[in-house]
Amino acid sequence: MKSEMAILPPNPEKATLEGKNKVLGFWLFLGGEMVLFGSLFATFIALRHGTAGGPKAQELFSLPMVALATFILLTSSLTSVLAILGMHRQNVGVLRGWLWITVLLGVAFLGLEVYEFTEYVNEGHTISSSAFGSAFYTLVGFHGGHVLAGVTWITLLIAQSYKKGLTVITAPKFYLASLYWHFVDLVWVFIFTVVYLIGKVGT
Amino acid sequence: MSNDLNQPVEIKHIAHQEGPKRHLITFVISILFTAFAFAAVVFAGQSPFVAPFIVVLALVQVLFQLYIWMHMDQKGHELPAIGIYFGFLIAFLAVVTFVYWLGGY
Amino acid sequence: MVGHGHVSHSPKRYTGLMDWLTTVDHKKIGILYLIAGGFFFLIGGLEAILIRVQLMYPENHIFVGATFNELTTMHGTTMIFLAAMPVIFALMNAIVPLQIGARDVAFPFLNALGFWLFFMGGVLLNSSWFLGGAPDAGWTAYPPLSSSFSGHGVDFYVLGLQIAGVGTWIGGINFLVTIINMRAPGMTFMRLPLFTWTAFVTSAMVLFAFPAITVSLVLLMFDRLFHANFFNPASGGNEVIWEHLFWIFGHPEVYILILPCFGIISEIVTIFSKKRLFGYSAMVFATVLIGFLGFMVWAHHMFTVGMGPVANAIFGVATMLIAIPTGIKIFNWLFTMWGGHIRFTTAMLYAVGFIPTFVIGGMTGVMLAVPAADLQYHDTYFVIAHFHYVIVGGMAFGLFGGLYLWWPKMFGRMLNESLGKWNFWFFFIGFHLTFFPQHFLGLMGMPRRVFTYLPGQGFELGNFLSSIGAFLMGVATVILIINIVVTNALPKNAPADPWDGRTLEWAIPSPAPEYNFAQTPLVRGLDALWTEKMAGKKEMTPAEPLGSIHMPSASIMPLIMAIGLFIAGFGFMYHLIPVIVLGLGITVVCMFIRSLYDDHGWHIEPDEIENNRKGVKA
Repeated sequence: MKSEMAILPPNPEKATLEGKNKVLGFWLFLGGEMVLFGSLFATFIALRHGTAGGPKAQELFSLPMVALATFILLTSSLTSVLAILGMHRQNVGVLRGWLWITVLLGVAFLGLEVYEFTEYVNEGHTISSSAFGSAFYTLVGFHGGHVLAGVTWITLLIAQSYKKGLTVITAPKFYLASLYWHFVDLVWVFIFTVVYLIGKVGT
Repeated sequence: MSNDLNQPVEIKHIAHQEGPKRHLITFVISILFTAFAFAAVVFAGQSPFVAPFIVVLALVQVLFQLYIWMHMDQKGHELPAIGIYFGFLIAFLAVVTFVYWLGGY
Repeated sequence: MVGHGHVSHSPKRYTGLMDWLTTVDHKKIGILYLIAGGFFFLIGGLEAILIRVQLMYPENHIFVGATFNELTTMHGTTMIFLAAMPVIFALMNAIVPLQIGARDVAFPFLNALGFWLFFMGGVLLNSSWFLGGAPDAGWTAYPPLSSSFSGHGVDFYVLGLQIAGVGTWIGGINFLVTIINMRAPGMTFMRLPLFTWTAFVTSAMVLFAFPAITVSLVLLMFDRLFHANFFNPASGGNEVIWEHLFWIFGHPEVYILILPCFGIISEIVTIFSKKRLFGYSAMVFATVLIGFLGFMVWAHHMFTVGMGPVANAIFGVATMLIAIPTGIKIFNWLFTMWGGHIRFTTAMLYAVGFIPTFVIGGMTGVMLAVPAADLQYHDTYFVIAHFHYVIVGGMAFGLFGGLYLWWPKMFGRMLNESLGKWNFWFFFIGFHLTFFPQHFLGLMGMPRRVFTYLPGQGFELGNFLSSIGAFLMGVATVILIINIVVTNALPKNAPADPWDGRTLEWAIPSPAPEYNFAQTPLVRGLDALWTEKMAGKKEMTPAEPLGSIHMPSASIMPLIMAIGLFIAGFGFMYHLIPVIVLGLGITVVCMFIRSLYDDHGWHIEPDEIENNRKGVKA
């Protein structure tokens, strides 16, 4: 079933019962992820002053780099929704194109994060240097792990799209990946606010 | 009715052709809110109101993500909304607890 | 409708062991959960008996010090995570899809994955006995005891529970979507049987509670294995973080355990009183309310931490509020029985025994919810007596009752009722003999988790009775096993509706066929089957013509994915990076394969369904 032959229903991601199940199940998964990240944020907030003589947030963080990372991730969230618009127009080329850009932006974000972490480690800020370090790397690292998973997943889906095209079976997959990507961006909004900006303020 | 999970179960009216306009507007708003937050920290970092201000900005931005980009404004998203809000409630309770009783402020 | 071209019509059906390892059938997964949960229940029960052997007499020297700590830790951890949870999931798997008139769960593959993750996590945790000692920091594993002052065993706790917890979490999502999306025509939410309602609320609680323990286990793992400082005050950490996160999970967890048993009791009481459930909508409301309040009270486990009077008061009052919906339930069960045509089958005995026992547990719960009083009860046998009254007297009674009720539907054979009654009375008397004296031991000041006590302090009689009671519960368990073995030797001749049931699972043969319903039933009222019986019909009205039924393909991948994480768990514990990479690699490759190769399933054709029907009638 190649895309050019397929005439799909209007919302192909929810056109089948399996698609409906997947979309609902994924939203519930994201609801659970809220608690996961909430627990990590709470832990970070409780421990963010526990530097034990090690480097403090104010000394470490560089706002321009965080701003760049934020811009990259926000843009990738836009491109992933544009991909879904392409999917709803049943244009697999548009879908694939925007997803490729999303993946590239995700990789750029990860590269920036790796660079950032390396800098911090050189300045003596590690997971075992203090409770602040442990909480920082765990929270931001969990988010980074989610970005990595998202990049891998979307790449896999793009690869599939060349062979399978856009069908009622593949459409839910694209839709879920896009939801996931937005969620990862949503978490980042809190990370740049709570971890970096408030960390820079120092209250 | 066949039980095949991959049979289309409903083909209703043609979907409204959703344009990219509102998504682009959301993007601009997100960038602006982010810029406000960074600017607030850079230019008014000493004020006690900066932290609550940027947290509110983040919350609004997250609502845009959920309702516009993740389409939670569309019909049939009642259960996803309950899931997200209940998850958020538990997360919020945890954060409040850790702020007030574990010295997070 | 005829299946379309790409669907394979020559199904790959495995037999024997391979069938069980690859199954995605919720009924078989239910049986797997029951076998695994039953096995861990026996291990946890043995640990309990060994604890009672040590405490039978003052200054006993059989299991002292670290060994005793291992026994109590593993007893609690095993019973909660590896026995109670899976037996609940066993009944949910076996019954919920049948009760809603569904042919399958929403995610059969994930369902199997959830089981195998739970199982491999349980095996990992219990392998600690042979690999340098079991965890010994209590089932709550508070740091710094669990982070700085415990041996290698806690690593097994952290990784075993992490893997098992992910499995349970997946299972919760599966049941939520199943109940929301897979209901038969006419099966509205307010017509759902109470067991399905409680399964629904429990699954929602699993969804929102388990991420908290995932995070707490991650923090403890990082502290233990990667020298992080979450729980190390010298480096800015804070141990109380663990207590909060653990109980943000842990308190909902006890409602996760008890709610499905409330559902089972509701089913048993209605069937064996031959009356509809009194106050159905109040029961539903109470279930949802208990589920909600269950998330708001976690800090009542921490009154002695020093949160201050405001927090203690808030959490104390919130805790007492839960008594209201619980009381609604108790009264509704009593009113259902009132004036009913009661049959005292084994299942009904368990339900009737449940009510006063659970009320006692609930009463001591309200006592413990008073912070000032709790400072006295804290860490004594009073707490032990309280939570065993709700967990054993509540949940275990409910589960045993549920097993007697649904055994024919799961296995096609009726459990022996005479042995069942012996089983009940031994268990009931043994239970109260074990735990009733512990209230007084606690009030007299006997601390929990201490391996012995001195003579002459008034603890002798209570402990002796307690140990005798534990042995009686052991006898009851042996009787249950004999009952199962005896039943298994008999022919599979259970009728479809042995108890004069009310809900949809009794409308189909025992055991349920692979596709559950040959034709999806049309539900026309609460207690769907009873509605038809009252209308003078013997079976459900079908909502569709007989047609070919789509089935998901069996797959070995859930097992392999769980084995991958099992291997990675050992890699983390022993700091072997190649083993970590290997284990995670296996799991990730399976995920890739699952994504790349779509499962189109296969079909069961009408002629096969017809043959099955005739086979049943012949």
